[in-house]
Amino acid sequence: MDDVLVRAEDLTRVYGTRTAAVRAVFRATFTIEAGRRIALIGPSGSGKSTLLLMIAGLERPTAGTLSWPALGEADSLRPGPVTVAFQGPSLLPPLSVVENVALPLLLEGREQGVAFDAARAALDLFELADVAGKLPEEISGGQAQRAGLARAIVGEPRLVLADEPTGQLDHETAGRAVVALLDAADASGAAVVVATHDAEIAVRMDARWRMDAGELRGTVSRCSA
Amino acid sequence: MADGRGGAEGHGVPLLGLSWIVALARRRPGRLAGLTLAVAMAVLLTASLGAFFTASRARMTNDAIASVPVDWQIQLRPGTDVAHATRVVASADGVARTMAVLYGDTTGFRAGAASTGVRTTGPGVVLGLPSNYASAFPGEIRPLIGARDGVLLAQQTAANLGATVGSEISIGRRGLPRASVTVDGIVDLPAADSLFQSIGAPPGSAPTAPPDNVVLVAAARFAELFPEGTPGVTTQLHVELARDLPADPGAAFVDVTGRARNLEAALSGTVLIGDNIGARLSAARSDAVYAQLLFLFLGIPGVIVAALLASVVAAAGRDRRRREQALLRLRGAAPRLIVALAAAEALAVGVAGVLLGLAGAAVVGRIAFGTARFGVTNAQALVWLAVSVVVGVGLAALTIVGPAISDAHALTVGAARADIGRPRRPLWSRLYLDVVLLGAGALVYAQAARSGYQVVLAPEGVPTISVSTFTLLAPALLWGGAALLAWRLGSLVLERGRLILEPLARPVAGRLAGVVSASMSRQRRSLSRATVLMAVTASFAVAIAVFNTTYAAQAEVDAQLTNGADVSATTTTLTGLPEGTARRATALPGVTSVAAMQHRFAYVGNDLQDLYGIDPSTIGATTPMSDAFFGNGDVAGTLATLATHPDGVLVSEETVHDFQLHEGDTVRLRLEFASDGRYHVVPFLFVGVAREFPTAPRDSFIVANAAYVARQTGTGSVQTLLVRTDAPPPVVAERIRRLLGPASGATVQDIETQRRVTLSSLTAIDLHGLTRLELAFALATAVACSGLVLAIGIGERRRSYAIASALGARTRQLSSFVWTEAAFVIVVGVALGALTGWGIAQVLVKILTGVFDPPPGSLSVPWGYLAAVLGAIAAAAAIAGSAAIRSVRRPQPEVLRDL
Repeated sequence: MDDVLVRAEDLTRVYGTRTAAVRAVFRATFTIEAGRRIALIGPSGSGKSTLLLMIAGLERPTAGTLSWPALGEADSLRPGPVTVAFQGPSLLPPLSVVENVALPLLLEGREQGVAFDAARAALDLFELADVAGKLPEEISGGQAQRAGLARAIVGEPRLVLADEPTGQLDHETAGRAVVALLDAADASGAAVVVATHDAEIAVRMDARWRMDAGELRGTVSRCSA
Repeated sequence: MADGRGGAEGHGVPLLGLSWIVALARRRPGRLAGLTLAVAMAVLLTASLGAFFTASRARMTNDAIASVPVDWQIQLRPGTDVAHATRVVASADGVARTMAVLYGDTTGFRAGAASTGVRTTGPGVVLGLPSNYASAFPGEIRPLIGARDGVLLAQQTAANLGATVGSEISIGRRGLPRASVTVDGIVDLPAADSLFQSIGAPPGSAPTAPPDNVVLVAAARFAELFPEGTPGVTTQLHVELARDLPADPGAAFVDVTGRARNLEAALSGTVLIGDNIGARLSAARSDAVYAQLLFLFLGIPGVIVAALLASVVAAAGRDRRRREQALLRLRGAAPRLIVALAAAEALAVGVAGVLLGLAGAAVVGRIAFGTARFGVTNAQALVWLAVSVVVGVGLAALTIVGPAISDAHALTVGAARADIGRPRRPLWSRLYLDVVLLGAGALVYAQAARSGYQVVLAPEGVPTISVSTFTLLAPALLWGGAALLAWRLGSLVLERGRLILEPLARPVAGRLAGVVSASMSRQRRSLSRATVLMAVTASFAVAIAVFNTTYAAQAEVDAQLTNGADVSATTTTLTGLPEGTARRATALPGVTSVAAMQHRFAYVGNDLQDLYGIDPSTIGATTPMSDAFFGNGDVAGTLATLATHPDGVLVSEETVHDFQLHEGDTVRLRLEFASDGRYHVVPFLFVGVAREFPTAPRDSFIVANAAYVARQTGTGSVQTLLVRTDAPPPVVAERIRRLLGPASGATVQDIETQRRVTLSSLTAIDLHGLTRLELAFALATAVACSGLVLAIGIGERRRSYAIASALGARTRQLSSFVWTEAAFVIVVGVALGALTGWGIAQVLVKILTGVFDPPPGSLSVPWGYLAAVLGAIAAAAAIAGSAAIRSVRRPQPEVLRDL
């Protein structure tokens, strides 16, 4: 399946103005097709998170073009075809783990029972079934990060964007979490883009895009299937 | 921000504090401004109360001394040198005028002839007055008919003797033959109670009624009637003091009583001083103290509400302060330095808030009370200023320095205690403090109800009002208990009430109702706090609005009762209004209805009571009457009963008790007949109890059908005209004066004038300015609470909303969280607050029943004002919520980068 999920041309994002301007992403050109596994690697501050946020439609580019040919307009990306697993703590504090995971489905308008069943199934994948009823403050950072991943795959998205998804996990747990993520993505045919420092995660991906000082470099600078 | 190196301790701290404040002003102006405003609100109300008391106390003093007919009545003991005593008194400090008045006891008066019938009275008194006494002490003598000097007969005595101008009466003198005098005029003695008081009676002894039979003569004539050595003659010096007394009633009381004691000492115990002005000032002093308690009670909750708002504003900035403190500690700042910087911030906010609040209070005081002073005396002004400063600076210190002290010693600053989750029940809840306070309040209230709250009134004597500070604990305890109970109930509903919350949230949240209600349940600590704050604010607004409105309504009823109608014209029982007056008055412009009323006297047993003859079928159209006026609580029913029983009569509860009356009993009254001027028995049928009646005195009185009274007594003369107007009452009153003419001897009074002079001492406080201040403050705090609490709550959950938005939540879905929480806080808070406020108002009105005359049958509710408050609360919530939703519907980049 070669549906183009994301197409970007000279994508640029600059923060601030004049002398205080920071060039987070500069003239990135790429496409992401359905089912792709892409690792986005680079040092801290290279623009990986900003690029992911723009792909998710959460940040507007300063210049260049960005479209989602197979997914629709920016307004219809979330909840639904595009999900994001954030780097930092991103569970809503007043909701339990299962409620957090079910939230994207509820925001889509799914029935409560259906949403919670899917959420529990997702938690099972990430070995979190026994903390489903706990609050975010009652679980560890690693469990919270895995819950974020569960939330990212619960709705069978078409594109999963994960920003340092294993930063708070030990090596073994990180490995199992990534396997669960990729298995879930395979089941739904979703593309996965993972920003990571972890080489072991990077090698599991089909492609490795390197970012450096906002510029997309690496094995291929113009990326396609 | 400033570098917090430890080396800045010691003399560098003040400089560091100053630069810290400057940096905050530049980088966090909103935080400083918000807290300064909240502190200013608390200071403004505190200082405004001082301005109110300045105005009210001065007015109380003026009103008290204005109503005293004779300031001092100095009774000379037998054998005292009158001239010497007069000289000493006249030269005493502050004495403006001194006059000697002679009191001669008589065995009685007699009038009439054998052919027409002789009437005699019981023992009476003859007063010998100096020639210019009436002009010197105008409150003592009110001329009715005839001459203003010579031999003057008191109105009641004239009625008893059937005498009038030109009548010859004889005076029974002890040890001397009877003396005859010719009556030159008839007068009323409005201050007979104090004029004939027993000077020097032991404290607590029952006051004595003034004599019913009094004749006034010139001093020279008195000397002829009662030559020196006649037994039963006493001399009093009547004194008027200079009106340069202190404005504060307490200070004026001390001044006056001090002077009285000095005088007694100067006269070596040869005199007894009846300190009438001291008695009035004592009552005013007590009233001023208790008015202060009452209005502090109404005001302190306002200060507490402002303090709570300030704490909410301060808490909103706590996380940022913690981060700032963490950065300082990372750079080596000691906890002591961090606390010092917090203290500097608190001082800056406190000083700014105090200055702003005092400026506002000066403006408010000038507008509302006519004065910008915060106290009657300089000392009081300083006290109020000091209190205001303490409130302002203390509030800032509590809300800024307190948390800084506890945070400075925390091990990890990042461990912000979440307001979410499964909190442990607070100590007060585990101890059931809400139940304890409510129970204690109920006990105090029950005790107050049992012991009663009375205006102790001498049978025609000097009123004293006693107010128990203990009873004022009841509303305070009930208020505190109700606030805690609201907290418990709110928390309970949020914790256990998801089955209720979820369906209630569904109309707003749709399929998100489950997670919305779950979210609310886990944030119950902060939501309960917000709900309680809303409830306290709402209860404050409702309580003071209902109390003030009820007070104003009763003041109007009191004035109506005293005056009888919009305009009233009264004359003596002896004369009566000219025939046809009612008909002619009806034709005057501005008059909508007229009711003529008889005012006679009737003996019930040996007790002489006022009797009012009315037309029960028409009087209601002219004079407003309340159900509370009658024993069965039904004015229409009582008047209808009287109308259907021509010989029906309404009497007081005291008369019913004294004579063991039951409805349907025959009551035999003695009324004066026109044919012979003597009292004869007339049978009446007891049909009901009258507690109050327009123009009737507080003592027992009788109400009967005018037609029956006229038929039985042979005269239908009316003594009172009640007039309802649709024009300004003073204007119509003037028209009626012209109609009656000066020769009628009638007194015409309008309700607007009466309203200013009728009220009891405590309720004579002009609440208008304070009412405006408190109602405006209540409205402002309700709006601030609603908008502020919502805005701060949303701000605290900004990150959650950003995450939800990043997950794809639409504006409507984000709104469901916001509006459901807002609806809970406002609906539950306002409902509980309204209930509490109504209950507190009820308690306050009950506790102070004794100073309402008559007591209110029900509370008067200012629906318009309360609707305005509710509308303002809803509007503030809508504005704050909409603004907050707009700010979070697109996830902020800085929040996303933190994820």
